[in-house]
Amino acid sequence: MSTTEVSSKIEYSDSEDRNALIAVKSHLIAGLLVFLLMMLAGLAMRAAQGTWLEIGADLFYQIMTVHGVGVVGAAMITSTGVQWYFLRQYVKLSNGVFWTNFFIFLTGVVLILGSIFVGKYGGAWTFLFPLPAISMGAWSTGAAAVFQLGLLVIGVGFLILYLDFGRAILARYGSLSRALGLTQLFGKEPVDYKHPAAVVASTMVLIVNFMGIAAGAVVLVMGLINLFYPEFKPDALLMKNLIYFFGHVVINATMYASVIAVYELLPRYTGRPWKTNKPFYAAWFAIVFMVMGVYPHHLLMDFPMPAWGLIVAQVLSFGSGIPVLVVTGYGALMIVYRSGIKWSTSAKLLFLSMFGWAAGVIPAILDAMVTVNRTFHNTLWVPGHFHFYLLLGLLPMLIGFAYFLAGEGDSKERPKAVDSFGFYAYLIGAFMTSMVFLASGANSIPRRWAAHLPEWIGFAQAGTIAASLVVLGMLLFIMRALISLPGANNPR
Amino acid sequence: MYPKAKQAWLLLAALVILALPPMQRFLEQSMVMHMLVQIPALVIIGWITGKILPENWKDNIAPWNRWGITGIALAIIIMTYWMLPRVQDAAISEWPVELTKFITVPIMGMALGISWPQLNPIAQGVLKLEFWATFMRLGWLYLDLPDRLCANYLLSDQRVFGQLLLLAGSIWAVAWTLRIMFGIRIVNT
Ligand code: HEM
Repeated sequence: MSTTEVSSKIEYSDSEDRNALIAVKSHLIAGLLVFLLMMLAGLAMRAAQGTWLEIGADLFYQIMTVHGVGVVGAAMITSTGVQWYFLRQYVKLSNGVFWTNFFIFLTGVVLILGSIFVGKYGGAWTFLFPLPAISMGAWSTGAAAVFQLGLLVIGVGFLILYLDFGRAILARYGSLSRALGLTQLFGKEPVDYKHPAAVVASTMVLIVNFMGIAAGAVVLVMGLINLFYPEFKPDALLMKNLIYFFGHVVINATMYASVIAVYELLPRYTGRPWKTNKPFYAAWFAIVFMVMGVYPHHLLMDFPMPAWGLIVAQVLSFGSGIPVLVVTGYGALMIVYRSGIKWSTSAKLLFLSMFGWAAGVIPAILDAMVTVNRTFHNTLWVPGHFHFYLLLGLLPMLIGFAYFLAGEGDSKERPKAVDSFGFYAYLIGAFMTSMVFLASGANSIPRRWAAHLPEWIGFAQAGTIAASLVVLGMLLFIMRALISLPGANNPR
Repeated sequence: MYPKAKQAWLLLAALVILALPPMQRFLEQSMVMHMLVQIPALVIIGWITGKILPENWKDNIAPWNRWGITGIALAIIIMTYWMLPRVQDAAISEWPVELTKFITVPIMGMALGISWPQLNPIAQGVLKLEFWATFMRLGWLYLDLPDRLCANYLLSDQRVFGQLLLLAGSIWAVAWTLRIMFGIRIVNT
């Protein structure tokens, strides 16, 4: 295959393109709305911990469950929208399959919402065995089962979508290793600077999520069997390993799917191409294994775990994120430096995401050290690190893409005052939300406690104020997206 | 036409040999042989039969089996039924159940053989992952369950079977990964 052929774009009919744009917008709007609702849920939890809001413990745990599963689902569906939008320009993807996943996803959402708010399931999105089966009357076996069934259904939808990605990528590149750029990395083919970053990233996401969903398919069914046949007691540690493998891979991969927006959009705004090269391929190759190998950092306090697994997890966690982060962060800096970039809201958000991602992994790496984890395990330090890079890393990529799609990238207009206000409210709020979580963790305040001790309430109240700022910023973003997105043409 | 007729006779002979009481007893005396030799053999007989059906039969089936959906649905129903341990158990003790098994399992193989190639590649992928996950789930269950699932087999037999299922699933996973990642074909799946 010649270089020109590799870098050429795929042609679709006009009606296909129009339908695809509607599909991507539906993913974005649905995802962003869920994010907003879940932020309100987060605000409610923080206010409850700060004694400003009176809610019972059972409702708190239902809200915590819906918040966890809701944001993970929203992250998956929105980042998939971003990824699909760009990937289909390089390989021939099916609109039908994309829609199919969307509707299967909505079906799963209905099941999960039913299990939480009708069935009162409150065992957290991690459905850690054997908790779903021993609610002590808080929820029924059926509710726990419907929750896991909902996850299973969503997994099948994504499996279908990834199979379509795989089929399309294999049709064009022959093997996944070639799509990942390994043949270029190892000198079997000349380096092609135009090999699309979107294809490299999508291949990585496809591989790890496929494995994650496979593990999920096994562990969810084992959990279901245990619910209905309690004599069957699977090995709890094995279950935990599989659950965290599944959960960690799936949420982590949303980051790697969304970063495609940075690769594709920053070059537009700066007028400089994003060139793929050997370090880029090496980084993405490494991350395939790292994303799958780091999850035991959730199990550092499980003493029966084999020591080698924990050592590997600690070492990989140190390294995880770094390769792609370095090539991406450095690449972004180089591409922006002295480019005369126009700071549209979209460009600002994408650039912010680089900061959020880079800074957010630092507390994560700290906590992945066994000695630190001994103190910080299950404190609010953990929500601190992941809210940091989800609120300041992932969401800015997604919202930045929404702004691009809403037509902002094209117009010569400067960002409106509302957008700037929204941007700073969001930035400051998200930063404060995360820092308050981190500070709470550093003060040994446990995570997942509905009621806080009097000494901790100040933190929760500060967190509530910060959260309202995030919600305000998000509200402005969403209003803008809802007003401009539906009618916007496909940016050229 | 001639080689097809010869193949058909061979298949029938294979089925009869499997059904002969000594052979049947030999294959059913351990769970491993029963599940990993006899049943797959019956499926393969059905699969090949599906391949060599006369053309006009195939043409008659085709309108009822668009995209292979009907056939796959039938195969899944039969497979699910025979995955219940108690019916396998019953097949050993009661001849009508055994007879049903000798008829339906080859039919399942035949339905698979005819329909699989027509099935949408994405549906094939979903089913493959589901089959793989079933190997792993059942392997795990057979290893961990405290009780015997079959009145006719020992617990130790059940454990060995569980290990073999996990082993088969793992080999499958490795083969699949090598093929997709690097284009290396070990077995043609
Ligand atoms: C205004 C924004 C948000 C606020 C105020 C907020 C607040 C909270 C609170 C209070 C908790 C429970 C902490 C505890 O264990 O005591 C939590 C958990 C969590 N949040 Fe958020 N959150 C926000 C946005 C997000 C976003 C955007 C994401 C992901 C993209 C996210 C992901 C999670 C996850 C995964 C959990 C863990 C749930 C569990 O422990 O089962 N949050 N959040």
